[in-house]
Amino acid sequence: MAKIRERYDALVIGGGIAGMQAALDLGEQGYDVLLVEKEPSIGGVMVGLNKVFPTLDCSSCICTPRMAEAAHHARIQLQTYTEVERVEKKGTGFAVHLVKKPRFLIEDDCVGCNLCELACPIDVPHEFDYGLGARRAVYIPHGNAIPQTAVLDVENCVFCGKCEKVCPTHCFDFTQEAEEVTTSAGAVIIATGLQITPMAAKKEYGGDTFVNVMNPLGMERIQSSNGPYGRVLRPSDGKIPRSIAYVQCAGSRDRSIGIPYCSRVCCMYALKQALLLTHYIHGVEVTLYYMDIRAFGKGYEQFYRRAVKEGVKATKGKVAKITEADNHDLILRVEMLDENGRVEERRHDLVVLAQGLVPGWHVGGVVDAEEAEDGFLLTPEAKVSPSHTTMEGVFVGGVAAGPKDIPDAIVEAGEAAMAAANYLERIGWRAMAGAVLGASAAKQEVVETWEMH
Amino acid sequence: MSYRLNPAFAGELARFGGETVNKCFNCGTCTAVCALSKGDTVFPRKIIRYVQLGLEERLKESPEPWLCYYCGGCSDTCPREAHPGELMMAVRRWLTTKYDWTGLSKRLYLSGAWEIGLLAGFALGVLGFFLVPGLFGIPFGFQAIKGPALEHVRLDLFAPKAWVHYGDWTLALLLALLLGINALRMVHFVLRGEKGLKIPLSAWFTKLPELVVHGVTQKRWLECDNDTRWRWVQHFLLVTGYATMFLLVVVFLPWFQRDTSQFHWTALFGYYGTVMLLGVTVLAMRGRFRKQEPIHKFSHATDWMFLVLLFLTAVSGIALHLFRLLDLPWPTYAMYVVHLMIAVPMLAIEVPFGKWAHLAFRPVAKYLAAVQEAARAQELLPAATAPRAIAA
Repeated sequence: MAKIRERYDALVIGGGIAGMQAALDLGEQGYDVLLVEKEPSIGGVMVGLNKVFPTLDCSSCICTPRMAEAAHHARIQLQTYTEVERVEKKGTGFAVHLVKKPRFLIEDDCVGCNLCELACPIDVPHEFDYGLGARRAVYIPHGNAIPQTAVLDVENCVFCGKCEKVCPTHCFDFTQEAEEVTTSAGAVIIATGLQITPMAAKKEYGGDTFVNVMNPLGMERIQSSNGPYGRVLRPSDGKIPRSIAYVQCAGSRDRSIGIPYCSRVCCMYALKQALLLTHYIHGVEVTLYYMDIRAFGKGYEQFYRRAVKEGVKATKGKVAKITEADNHDLILRVEMLDENGRVEERRHDLVVLAQGLVPGWHVGGVVDAEEAEDGFLLTPEAKVSPSHTTMEGVFVGGVAAGPKDIPDAIVEAGEAAMAAANYLERIGWRAMAGAVLGASAAKQEVVETWEMH
Repeated sequence: MSYRLNPAFAGELARFGGETVNKCFNCGTCTAVCALSKGDTVFPRKIIRYVQLGLEERLKESPEPWLCYYCGGCSDTCPREAHPGELMMAVRRWLTTKYDWTGLSKRLYLSGAWEIGLLAGFALGVLGFFLVPGLFGIPFGFQAIKGPALEHVRLDLFAPKAWVHYGDWTLALLLALLLGINALRMVHFVLRGEKGLKIPLSAWFTKLPELVVHGVTQKRWLECDNDTRWRWVQHFLLVTGYATMFLLVVVFLPWFQRDTSQFHWTALFGYYGTVMLLGVTVLAMRGRFRKQEPIHKFSHATDWMFLVLLFLTAVSGIALHLFRLLDLPWPTYAMYVVHLMIAVPMLAIEVPFGKWAHLAFRPVAKYLAAVQEAARAQELLPAATAPRAIAA
C-alpha cells in the first residue's frame, strides 16, 4: 500500500458506493484523492447486498467493478482499515489526522492466498454476514473484498502462530500498533453512509432476542449466492421457512424509538426480498405488513405491483408486537386495517424487520460540519446545493446526508465531487500546490493534469 | 344509515384533553398492542378515527371507550406520539357530557367558572341546611348550639341523625336517579348503534353477572398487558374505602356519628375508609405531579379537582374526628359543616356529571358488549355489521 503523501486535492471519507463514486468523479477530472475507509475492504453496504431493485441486477456484480476501478485509479489512493480522527481547517485547506488500525501484517507483503485463514483454528461470527455465518480470527474480509488483504482480529486471536507458519511471505507482525498519520487536503467529501436501525430499538419486536426475527441485511446475505447458508433457511433450526413476514416501518416513522422520518428504501428492499423469496422457495407464503407502500422511484410502483401479482401478500396494518412460540415460530399481533380493523395474531416461521437507515457515522468532534436533528449531515441549501454542508470546503454525498437508495446516492456523490472540484478551482488549491512545492513541480502537475484529458 | 360528519369535532375534543388526535396516522399499533382490544370490541384506533372524521353519532354509540383501562401501552408504543390512551380518556369525558341530559356535565368539564360556581353553590346549600331551619325556630344546626351543646360536643343536638338521614338519603336517591338516567341513555345510544342486531331476551339475563362482577371488582383491568396490578389494587382499595364510608353514613349513621369518645366498632371501618381515601388520593396526586406513567402524564383540570376534593374530604373528616375526641364543641360543629360542604358538592357534581360516573358506565359497557356479542354469536353474523366498516 502506497505511503500517505503530505498533500491531496480531496479527502473522501467512506469507501461505499457513494464514496467510490465521488472519488472516481474527482480522479477522472485529474484531482488527487485520498479515499479513507474504516473497514478492511471498500464496497460498503452495497457489496453485501444480493440484488438491487427494481432491476434485480446482482448487486456485487455492479459494485465490484466500481471497487476495482477505484482501487486501480491512478489518481485515487485507497486507505482501508483507517479511521479519520480529526479534520480541521488549516489555511486554505484542511489538516487531516488519520489513524491506521493494525492488521498485524505487512499489507504490501500479503498476497491474499488465504492460507492463514484456513490454518486459523478460531471461528467468530462474521460481521459481513451479520453474524449468520462465521469467519476466522485472521481472515480476508470476504470474497469480493478489495484489497484482498488479510486482517487479524486481535480480540479473538489466541496467538497460536499457525497463520504465521503457513504464510508464504511471512508477512505477519504481531507487534504492529495503530499508526497516526497526518496529511492535508483542499476539500473533504463525507460519504459515510448508513447503519440500519439497531435491532433492539423497538422492544415490542424482540429483534435482539428472538432468533428468527431477522435483520434485513442478514436476509440479503442469506439470499446471496455467496451467503452463509447457500440457500434460504431460518436461523433457529435450519428449516426452510414456509411462511415469512416482513414488518414494514419497523425502524422508521416511529417517534417511540426516536426515528420519526421515513427511510425511503425499506418498502422497496422488502418487496424485492419478498419477491425473490417466492422465487427461491417453492410455495412460500410471504406477507408484508405495511402502513403505506412508498414506491417512490422510476419503475418502483410497477415493481410493487409485480411483486403482488407474483404472490407477495401486502397486508395493511402496522405490527404492534411479536411474541415467540415454543418452536421459535413468531406470533405477530396486528390490526387488519383493510378487514374491519379486526385484531389478529398471525404465526410465521421467520420475520424480517424492515429496519430503517440511520447515519453510519457521526462527525462530532472530527469534522466541524453540523448535523441536523435526525443525525444526518445538515445541508442548509438542500434544494439547490444538496451536497454543501455548513462548513466551507466540506461536502456530503450519499446516505450521510439522509436516507436514499443506490441511484440517488450515486447521483448525489457525483454532485458532491463536482461541487468539490468547483471549490478547489475557486480557492486555487492546485496553483497553491505550486507555490508550496516549487514552480517546477507545479508545472509538472499542470502538464500531467492536462495530459490526462 | 347515514351519519353526519362534524369537521370541527377534533377541535372540540381538544377542549376535553384530546389535543393530539390529528397526529394519528392510523397505523393500528395501538389497537394491536392493546390486550383488551379483541373480538368485536377493538380500540383505540377506531375511536380515534371517529374523532378525526367527526363521526359524533358513531362515537356516542360506541361502548369501547369504557372498555379501556388506560394501562398506557398504546401511548408508549405510538409511532406518532398521539397518546391514544389519553385520547380515549378525552372521549370518555366527552361521552359523559353526552350521556348527561341536563347539559350540566358539559359546562362543568369545559368551564372552571361553572365548576367552581356550582361547587360553591352546593357548599352554600349545605351551609343553609344548618342555618335556615334555625331561622324558623327549629332546634337544628347552628340554632342548636347552646346550653349543653356548648359544654360538650353534642352532635345529636347539632345534627340529629334523623335530619342527617333525610339529607343523605335524599341526596343518594337524587344522585342515583341522575346517574341511572345517564346510564340508561348510554344503553339507548349503544343499542341504537347496531339496530339490526336482534338481542335475545335470555342474553340480558345470562350476561347480568358481567354487570355485577365488573362493577364490584373492576377485574377487566387485570387483563391489561402492562403490569397494572398495583394500580388495580389501589383503585380497588379506594372503592372499598368509598363503599365503607357510604354504608357508614347512609346505613350505620346511628352508630357511626357519636358524641362520646367511647369506642364503637364502626370507628374501625371509619378508619379503614379514611386511610384508603387519603392514601390512594395522595398516591394519585403524586403520580400526576411526577408524570411518570402514561396514565398520569396528562391531567385535565377536572382530574385535579376530583382528587383535591377527595383529599380534602378525608382531611376534614379526620379533623372532625379529632375535635370530637378532644371534646371541642365549636370546632367540631364548624368542621362538621366544612366536611359536608366539601363532600356533598363533590358527590353532587362528580357522581352524575363528572369523573365518578364511570362507576356506572364501565360495568354497563362491559355488560352491553357481552350481550351484543352473545346476540351476534346467535345470529352467526360476522364480527361487525355493515355500518362499522366506516372504521376502516
